[in-house]
Amino acid sequence: MIQVDDLAKSYGRVVAVDGLSLRVEEGSIMGLIGPNGAGKTTTIKIILGLLKPERGFVRVFDEEPWDNPDIKPKIGVIYERAYFPSRHKVFDYLKRVCRIFGKPESRAREVLALTRLEDAHDRTVKALSAGMLQKFAVAHALIKEPRLIIADEPTSNLDPEARRELLDLILQLHRDENVTFLISSHVLPELSRICESVAIINKGKVWAAGSLTELSEKLEARTTRISTDNPEALGELIRKLEYVSRVEVDSRGVSVGVLAGEDERLYEDVPRLAKKAEAKIVGIETGTASLEELFRLAVKSGQGEDRRWEKADHS
Amino acid sequence: MGKGRPFLEIFTYALDEDYRFPILEIFAFLFALGTFVFADFAGGYDRTGETMAYSLVSTLCGFPLMFIFVVLILKNVAYGLGSDLDRGVMQTLFSYPLKRRHILTARLLSSLGIAVLLFLGIQIFGLFLLAPDILATYSSTVFLTYAAHVCSPALLLAGLLLLLTLRLKRGGLALIIGVVLFFAGLIVSGLMTSIAYGTGSDLSLKIWAVINPNSALQAYYYHMGTSGFLFGGETWVPSFSEVLLYLGAGYLIVAVLFIVGYIYFDRRLEI
Repeated sequence: MIQVDDLAKSYGRVVAVDGLSLRVEEGSIMGLIGPNGAGKTTTIKIILGLLKPERGFVRVFDEEPWDNPDIKPKIGVIYERAYFPSRHKVFDYLKRVCRIFGKPESRAREVLALTRLEDAHDRTVKALSAGMLQKFAVAHALIKEPRLIIADEPTSNLDPEARRELLDLILQLHRDENVTFLISSHVLPELSRICESVAIINKGKVWAAGSLTELSEKLEARTTRISTDNPEALGELIRKLEYVSRVEVDSRGVSVGVLAGEDERLYEDVPRLAKKAEAKIVGIETGTASLEELFRLAVKSGQGEDRRWEKADHS
Repeated sequence: MGKGRPFLEIFTYALDEDYRFPILEIFAFLFALGTFVFADFAGGYDRTGETMAYSLVSTLCGFPLMFIFVVLILKNVAYGLGSDLDRGVMQTLFSYPLKRRHILTARLLSSLGIAVLLFLGIQIFGLFLLAPDILATYSSTVFLTYAAHVCSPALLLAGLLLLLTLRLKRGGLALIIGVVLFFAGLIVSGLMTSIAYGTGSDLSLKIWAVINPNSALQAYYYHMGTSGFLFGGETWVPSFSEVLLYLGAGYLIVAVLFIVGYIYFDRRLEI
């Protein structure tokens, strides 16, 4: 559905995207993650035909996206900041968009209901709060019943309840209508919840792409979960181990990021450290690395601190 | 899906955004009527009917009224289009099923086309109310005079502002530059006349007439059948066909500016 090969784009001397390649298959939900300035928004804008790449190949629905009106009815867009003519009333503007895309005006009511914006029916767009404006952007994107939705930080202005509702809506659209999603976000737990695959971008390149399990395998990253009655003290001692990449402590235990193979060393060290911390180990298990861990590794890799990413298949 | 409906929807969206209660236009209309009441169209010259018609329309298109009109156009072109780019509304418009050039056309029809129609509508309605005989008898002179005044400064500045707005992507700044250019045009006009007096050559006037065809029209009508005023012993009095050439050149410059704007918007504009 989206095919990007060897994409390059600079702003003056600043290289935003440099040899980026990406595939988004029909019916998938792909997350795009990376630190600020990694090239996510530039990539999305090129895919949407708002920017011209200096090099590379971009196809959306097998077509060139730049100034191509034929693909517009198939793509819904949700930007981080929603941009709409401010003087229009919410319902009036949605009706106008219905007419633009040849949809019945009843579709405007449907998307208002889907996004729980019925109360804002008669408000002008400029009178909407940031969260409501974001919901309006979602409603606007849904009007045309798109086959693909591209979202750049779609939950950034939403409160927790609205975030949950939007994520549920994404899953519902994906499940019931087989809508494909490409979602850029910094809120990694959200992406973990909804995305079937992720592409990690850093310094204008896709450093790794695939499902969490595939990425964990490719990047040899693991997360070991240790359940204990004294997570603070144990966490402090584990942090001092040189082969540990990340330690997160919560009320019920410690999550430790390690490389594949290093988890064996951790299993050996934990009983000794638990004794020293006067902590009782309730359980210990190793699984795939969390998205946060993978993201953190990508950032470190971009800073030249970790070379494992170079081994990863970047397709 | 037909392209007509999306185009009309974006055009009416732009109209909704550009126009509110037409206070500027009403002010312009009242001003036009006031001008008719108080103006001295003979202006001390020995007038023919055509010269009178030219003088009448030129007075109506004089500084305050033209300034209001230019501000209206610049506000719509620079501020309307610029704000769409600046605030990101253009990203939303680009998500609609229209070619870029059609989006720009819809936007310009609203910002420029309607402003020109309003201006001419008010003017010609005022002329019809107060001097119907001039409008009926010297319609070609009236038409030429309006064509010259609309060409420069209005359309010329609008074309420049279009390019500036697309390049800067900031409406406010483009608007300020547009107003500065308007006043710069007045200064340059005076400067060119001074140069002509000083050097005794009409070259500067001819160059200026390419940019501002009204100056050729003015020279033609004001000196029609008169000795006119002299500078350096010579009077520059273009023939009627020369006047048409200058007018054509003026519109050619305007057309080039808009074509460049369209090409830039179509092929280069990144948002």
